[in-house]
Amino acid sequence: MNRWATGLWVGFLFSIPLWMTDQYYLHILIVAGIFIIAAMSLNLLLGYTGQLSLGHVAFFGIGGYTSALVSLGFDLELTDSYTFVFPAQPVWIAFLAGIVVAGFFGWLIGKISFKVRGAYFVIVTISFAEVVRLVALNWIDLTEGPMALNNIPPFTLGVPGLWELTFWRKIPNYYLVLVTCILSYVVIARLVGSRLGRAMIALRENEPLAASVGVDVTRSLVLAAVVSAAIAGAAGGLYTHYIRIIDPDVFLFIYTVTMVIMVVTGGKGTLAGPIVGGLIFGILPEALREVASPEMQWVIYGVLMILIVYFLPDGIVPAVSSWWKERFDAPPKTGEERA
Amino acid sequence: MSAAPRSREVVLDIDRLTIGFGGLVALANVSFDVYEGEIASLIGPNGAGKTTAFNAITGFLSVSGDSIRYRGKRLNGLRPNQIADLGVVRTFQKTSVFAANTVTDNIMIGLHRHAGARLWEILLARPRVRDEESRLRAQAGEILEMMGLSAHAEELGGALPYGEQRLLEVAVALAAKPTLLLLDEPVSGMNPSETARFMAMLGRIRAGGITILLVEHDMRMVMGVSDRVIVLNQGAIIAEGAPEEIQRNPEVIRAYLGHGADKRRASKREAGRA
Ligand SMILES: Nc1ncnc2c1ncn2[C@@H]1O[C@H](COP(=O)(O)OP(=O)(O)O)[C@@H](O)[C@H]1O
Ligand SMILES: [Mg+2]
Repeated sequence: MNRWATGLWVGFLFSIPLWMTDQYYLHILIVAGIFIIAAMSLNLLLGYTGQLSLGHVAFFGIGGYTSALVSLGFDLELTDSYTFVFPAQPVWIAFLAGIVVAGFFGWLIGKISFKVRGAYFVIVTISFAEVVRLVALNWIDLTEGPMALNNIPPFTLGVPGLWELTFWRKIPNYYLVLVTCILSYVVIARLVGSRLGRAMIALRENEPLAASVGVDVTRSLVLAAVVSAAIAGAAGGLYTHYIRIIDPDVFLFIYTVTMVIMVVTGGKGTLAGPIVGGLIFGILPEALREVASPEMQWVIYGVLMILIVYFLPDGIVPAVSSWWKERFDAPPKTGEERA
Repeated sequence: MSAAPRSREVVLDIDRLTIGFGGLVALANVSFDVYEGEIASLIGPNGAGKTTAFNAITGFLSVSGDSIRYRGKRLNGLRPNQIADLGVVRTFQKTSVFAANTVTDNIMIGLHRHAGARLWEILLARPRVRDEESRLRAQAGEILEMMGLSAHAEELGGALPYGEQRLLEVAVALAAKPTLLLLDEPVSGMNPSETARFMAMLGRIRAGGITILLVEHDMRMVMGVSDRVIVLNQGAIIAEGAPEEIQRNPEVIRAYLGHGADKRRASKREAGRA
């Protein structure tokens, strides 16, 4: 996409709250936007390094729980006589903490599992998500377990007491998600367009050859895992402070599957892929809710997914861009023209 | 072209290298040297252990001990990327390019070691990053020019004709700026005129200060370009010397004539050890 198209598209996204007055539609876009951020982060691993993380929602949930706990404050009875008290922090600090903690777990998972890649990575990530879900479910002192963390404060900017901006309503939350989305996009775009991203792509394409010219396999993959997990953690933080409640169901496998579907249908390994896939599979369920019964919704959802994967195995974005090239770009010059 | 080695300074020092796969001994106590600035060839019938030696030298096979040294540094136990950092880069016997990347991007990946932009600089899009990218792109252009691949710069690596893919592999390795280049059957599958061009290219690469260790089956090429030939048979070195000497060596002739009996002997060897 050229600069003009990008500018128009971003301008359009910024204009939406000005003319879309139905708050429910805005809500759908906010949730879709949060999932798009998560899908973009998954795409960095799945699309660019070729590693399938089927526990990606763990990083999303860790970001969410961390951000919720830091903003609420918590205490832990470490021994009978000593209780560790963590005071509540401003939400933007909590949000950053969520990103850092999620990134740390990305590093950990990367270190552990990139020694064993491929199918093992899939298994390690699935197990990791399940372990984290069980911790969230059973560490009731900290997480309230199945009772969920309630009354999570909405997002704020500023310094308490001096100046604070609180994101109560839909419109500021929409802009918050949009800006985070754009920032995540820029981070990923710059990364994959750089020497570090080239190394990731090289590993996906031909690992022995990449290693033979000096690409450090573990280092590249761990870097991808950290950035990916941190961005997923940001999405989790946004989700927590928008919905304002978080429980262990946030770690359900179905959310990872949703992210994978968004990435694969949109086009893995393309920057726009998760956005296109995320818009379709983020908005579609809500759109269908008004016209179809719940069973039909799932059927339509599934059939659409299968159709896309069957007819456009590389995803929508690569299919459209190659169609566009054929249709509009100058065909290779023939001998006649050259003469 | 064949001459005595240009210098007697050892760069690659293989000292009693032994590698086994289960019951099969692929390399048994192999010792040889490669000298600064020369083109040395490692030849031998199929299954002699040439590729295994390359894998060991470049860290694709992990070998314990202290049997492989490059310019005094021990390579045993290092990973391939660490060995590349020391200037030892190899190509693969089976054609190996980044098939889904453009030819230019193949070279850009090869230049990985020569880019230094840090993560934060990249995320903040510091001017230094852009400067470095254009510097790399220019270098990639030069390498493609030298390898005669400029016309293909924007094509996908996997879409190149076979001969060009083989050139691209060498170009990717050169992009890593090795001081020792290991080539594993680089002209296999090339036609005679491509092979002739490749031989001229080897001379130019060497003239650029790169020492070359070549594994090749094309004897005319080996005898034409090598300063020295090392002959491996069934995991052991049976001869070493100038090309003319090697061509006359009765044991070498026997090893090559006994080519057909090779498989039989290999399985006998395996059975003998079991
Ligand atoms: N990874 C491996 N596992 C088991 N045997 C191997 C392996 N690699 C090579 N070999 C065996 O080692 C011997 C030497 O192989 P190789 O080094 O590929 O020979 P060359 O390159 O000289 O044709 C052969 O008998 C081959 O079958
Ligand atoms: Mg071989």
